[in-house]
Amino acid sequence: MLQILIQGLLLSGLYALIAMGFTLIFSVGRVLNLAYGAYLLIGGYAYFYFSQQLGLPKIAGVMLAGVLGCVLGLLKYQLLVKRVQGVHSAVEIATLILAVVLQSAVVLIFGDSSKILLPIVPGVERVASAAIPYSNLVATIISWAILIGLYFFVRLTHTGRAMQAVSMDAKGAAISGIDANRINMITWGISGTLGAIGGVFFASYTQLYPGMWVAPLIIAVAVVIVGGIGSIIGTLVVAHIVGFMEIIVSSWNPELRGVFTMLLIILVLVLRPRGLFGREEIH
Amino acid sequence: MLEIQGLSAFYGRAQALFDVSLRAEKGEIIAVIGANGAGKSTLFDSVLGLTKTTGAVRLEGQDLTGQGSSEIVRRGVGYAPERFNLFPYMTVRDNLLVGAYTARGDIETNLEMVHALFPRLAERAGQETSTQSGGERQMVSLGRALMGSPRLLLVDEPTIGLAPKVCDEIAVVLRRLRDEFGLTVVIAEQNANFALSLASRVYVLESGRITAEGTAESLAKDEALAAAYFGH
Repeated sequence: MLQILIQGLLLSGLYALIAMGFTLIFSVGRVLNLAYGAYLLIGGYAYFYFSQQLGLPKIAGVMLAGVLGCVLGLLKYQLLVKRVQGVHSAVEIATLILAVVLQSAVVLIFGDSSKILLPIVPGVERVASAAIPYSNLVATIISWAILIGLYFFVRLTHTGRAMQAVSMDAKGAAISGIDANRINMITWGISGTLGAIGGVFFASYTQLYPGMWVAPLIIAVAVVIVGGIGSIIGTLVVAHIVGFMEIIVSSWNPELRGVFTMLLIILVLVLRPRGLFGREEIH
Repeated sequence: MLEIQGLSAFYGRAQALFDVSLRAEKGEIIAVIGANGAGKSTLFDSVLGLTKTTGAVRLEGQDLTGQGSSEIVRRGVGYAPERFNLFPYMTVRDNLLVGAYTARGDIETNLEMVHALFPRLAERAGQETSTQSGGERQMVSLGRALMGSPRLLLVDEPTIGLAPKVCDEIAVVLRRLRDEFGLTVVIAEQNANFALSLASRVYVLESGRITAEGTAESLAKDEALAAAYFGH
């Protein structure tokens, strides 16, 4: 029981981090960023390259992965999204293709065998019968710190309020002197950073391989659909529902792990199409 | 103060304004009256750089054409649009703070001024604007525009859908902005009586063209105009 509680909390914190980067883009930029998984992929491999191949300190590896994710997000906005803006299906298809291309690039550079990431912090803590790797604990604590920071950033800073404003009323934001382009850039940068750091944690939680971006992308879509797009609190709550559901189901039968997540999506789509906390603006 | 010369505006290939020219002096209230769809909102959107235009818009001699809307706001243009375009799930206070995006140094002074003009906004500071009445939203909208420290204020249909008592309140505030704060105000109105009671000069906009202009008194005497716009 305690084991399920702890593992559930650890996994859910990570899911919340991953889903948050995804929901920000949908809410501010109105883009369903299907290539979001690419940030996780690049983040995981960047950490592997910097920390395990170059031997840099692990914390530097995490930060460099975040920086790379940020740069990738900015480039994607500047070179792709901005140019086909307004045509949502074009953006979505283009971003998905980009993710597949990046996956191929990763295969070319690192090969397609899966890699084991060394723990960010080695060691295991035993609580009752549960073994908690320090690595997962650190990942969850960092995820929570980032999410709390993001919450206050969005609520209390001029830039954060401007992000909310753009997501709620583009014209209202423009006549308040907000440059939507700049706000979009910042949002894409933050989203890329969250995705890449989420990727480092996710890869160390599971394993690092070129197709690793698909599962967390589905989780992110699930959390966002069930939670209601744009809701920071909704994302947090639903990340915990999905995380705990997975832990409970897989303690019973690991094969069914993802099935219940899918069922939950379908159930919510049928009963509450706008999600449990549904509206599309960040709040 | 504001000088618009030969302004034409386009939505795609459709032309919405034709060679519009008007001016407003510092500390003056002028009105643009016209029916629904005459182009009043397009005119204001064009001043803010939100449409494709040809012609010139000058603010205190500086050319605004070709500037982005954020730069135009920074240079001192405040806009309270017809549909308010508020941020529905943000509080009144946060809506006002977004208005201060380009004038962060003036937040304290401006917030004090807005609360003095609209005491209700201070009382309702924590309320989400999606739950407010039309009159309150109009106040938030005007307040948000004022938070940007404007020298020119554009107000689109300030009385639409509002109770007469609220219209009077808005009129008092617009006069105070002119008299106490030296603001230049341009209002767009279908309600010509309201416009004439406030403005020193009036422009009539019909199908995207200025068809008449003059002092409030001279236009009130024009019988054809009176029949068309003043309902008598």
